[in-house]
Amino acid sequence: MQSIVHVCLAGLSSGMFIWLVASGLTLIFGVLGVLNFAHGSFYMLGAYFSYTVLRHLFPNFWLGLLLGPLCVCAVGFVVERFFLRYVYRLALPYQLLLTFAFVLIFDNLVKIVWGAGSLTPPDIGFLAGSVPILGRKFPVYNLFIIGVGPLVAVALWLALERTWAGRIVRAASSDREMASAIGVRVPALYTGVFVFGIWLGALGGGLAVPYVGLLTPGMGETIIIEAFIVAVIGGLGSLKGAFLAALVLGVLSSFGTRYFPAFDMFLTFILMAAVLLVRPQGLFGDAR
Amino acid sequence: MTRKRISRRELLKLAGTGTVVAAAGGLGQGLLLPRNLWAAPPKIKGPVKIGYQAVLSGTLAGYGEFHKMGAVMAVEEINAKGGIAGQKVEMEFRDSTLKPDDAIKNARYFVDSWGADFLAGIDSSGQALALAPVVQQLDRVLMVTHAATEKLTEEMVFKKGIKQIFRICTPTYQDGNAAAFIAKDFPAVKWATVSPKYEYGFTCWKMFQDTLKKLKPGVPFVAESFAPFGTTDFRSHINTILDAKPDGLYSTEWAGELISMVKQGREAGLFEKVKHVIFPVGAAMDVLEGLGKDMPDNIWIAGRYFFLYPNSKTNGEWVARFRKRWNHYPAYVSETGYSSIYAFKAAVEKAGSKDTKAVIQVLEGMSMNSPAGNRVFRKEDHQAIYDVAWGKTKADPKYPFKIMGEMKVIPTTVCYNRPPFEGPGTAPPF
Repeated sequence: MQSIVHVCLAGLSSGMFIWLVASGLTLIFGVLGVLNFAHGSFYMLGAYFSYTVLRHLFPNFWLGLLLGPLCVCAVGFVVERFFLRYVYRLALPYQLLLTFAFVLIFDNLVKIVWGAGSLTPPDIGFLAGSVPILGRKFPVYNLFIIGVGPLVAVALWLALERTWAGRIVRAASSDREMASAIGVRVPALYTGVFVFGIWLGALGGGLAVPYVGLLTPGMGETIIIEAFIVAVIGGLGSLKGAFLAALVLGVLSSFGTRYFPAFDMFLTFILMAAVLLVRPQGLFGDAR
Repeated sequence: MTRKRISRRELLKLAGTGTVVAAAGGLGQGLLLPRNLWAAPPKIKGPVKIGYQAVLSGTLAGYGEFHKMGAVMAVEEINAKGGIAGQKVEMEFRDSTLKPDDAIKNARYFVDSWGADFLAGIDSSGQALALAPVVQQLDRVLMVTHAATEKLTEEMVFKKGIKQIFRICTPTYQDGNAAAFIAKDFPAVKWATVSPKYEYGFTCWKMFQDTLKKLKPGVPFVAESFAPFGTTDFRSHINTILDAKPDGLYSTEWAGELISMVKQGREAGLFEKVKHVIFPVGAAMDVLEGLGKDMPDNIWIAGRYFFLYPNSKTNGEWVARFRKRWNHYPAYVSETGYSSIYAFKAAVEKAGSKDTKAVIQVLEGMSMNSPAGNRVFRKEDHQAIYDVAWGKTKADPKYPFKIMGEMKVIPTTVCYNRPPFEGPGTAPPF
């Protein structure tokens, strides 16, 4: 019992990270139709900027989490406004090439600015430490992460379904020409959505700093694969699907590691293959 | 690369000096001085070119930087003192990316396009094994400075006769067999592991078990959890260990993954529940500096080299020079990178040639002094034999990280497998 609960908790917390990254990825794909391969790099930048704020400017976790991702948003703005904007009309391979180029550029920039070695973050204060759950210690911070994930999900849902801006985003997402015809400034909207998606990824990075306990150049490359799997299982462009898929994937791989160690590396791929066989459009994707 | 063009006049001048020097040398050798001791350095043609590759991208990019610091420092020192056999050393450094096909591409580039005389570096065992037949075909000596698989020296060099390969760092025997000699003295009776889910992790854990079973018959191994390369979340693995309730934990996790595992293990109370812990590659500088005070006390750690061992003049001075040059403590790959260049120097000067065959002949059985102490390249399998310290982690006010307190050395004569590597009496304990 103790073991099952802890394996579950470990899976939930790791699933929440994948969700935070996958949510930005999904949002950008849903609205802009761009598969942003560089999303993992923005996650990495979020981690590095938050780390820098935390270590060198203000030794406050919340300020790091606020300012770090905001800096990354500025980078995201430049990327959309001056690069990505010009490939919307081109075929998908061009978008992948461009975003992949940014993966390489950001990895090397991080190496130049912060060094090639790994960095370890300072203590984060009151969220540090562990609480006993059924007689085994569990980190407070992970409980916090398990709470943040659904919070972001609910906030996103409210923003998209219940606000004026959300309604415009949904309109542009379902038919960009019509939206533009009725007076929505689509290019500006795209920039806004892209920057917001980047913010979600960077927030994931900022939150990952104390969770992983380590920053390395290239840390975005592992998570982007998982986030892609989640986005595909959930149905490309579906936030609801991404949330559910992230939870399932996190818990499943945690159980796999504990109880079926021989299969843990391809359990997630089996899940993806199975879902795609039954529902090629993903759990909540539209069958367009 | 810009190559200076030599004018006709300079050429004549050079030729002139060359003749005089050669004549003087011949005179000296023939008439005045004892032959071998005082003879002018044997002449070799052109610069000595070394192609070095290590990982410079991805999560382990820091390792490549540490390789580079050691190797670059050796090249600078050697060139400042007149080079190898009077010739300048040139080194080119490339990113090995940890992928076998990139390692092969780099090696081909170094030899075929750049004109390398020697190759060095290589972090992953998979790369080293893939590269073996290629360096045989390219016919250049490859000095492996990090990859540890025993198959490289046992199978590629000893059985298949790929004589071009040498290894200057310790092999898996150090991480597997030697750890069992450390473990045998613990009161711990039940062992478990969290180790990398690839060749290196499997091999070391098997060696550890095999040797410990012989040293302490009946010792149970209660759990194993293998983490794939790139794991950042060790919580499920830690749960596996806690569920099995061992009193000893053996882990060959390394670099950033070891840092993550230790931090997450602390949060889960792992080191309170499991009292005896061995990290065979825990004495890497990136791990010690990365963890700082988060590294628990009383853990047995080792590496391929640790800057406080041996307590010799050579080592002490080297560490001081290294810190002055790079403002870092040397990592173990810095030491192996540094010493590999000096191994080439010693071999070329003794052989009087850069010729691969001649250099191999000298390197076989060659003994050299290095920061890590005296190294001898075993003739049969080209494995460098040198002792590495094990130690128990301890805080020290002089350092911002944990160092080895109580140290212990398991001599290589005791813990290394011996040629012919098959049959009884070739694996420890002897």
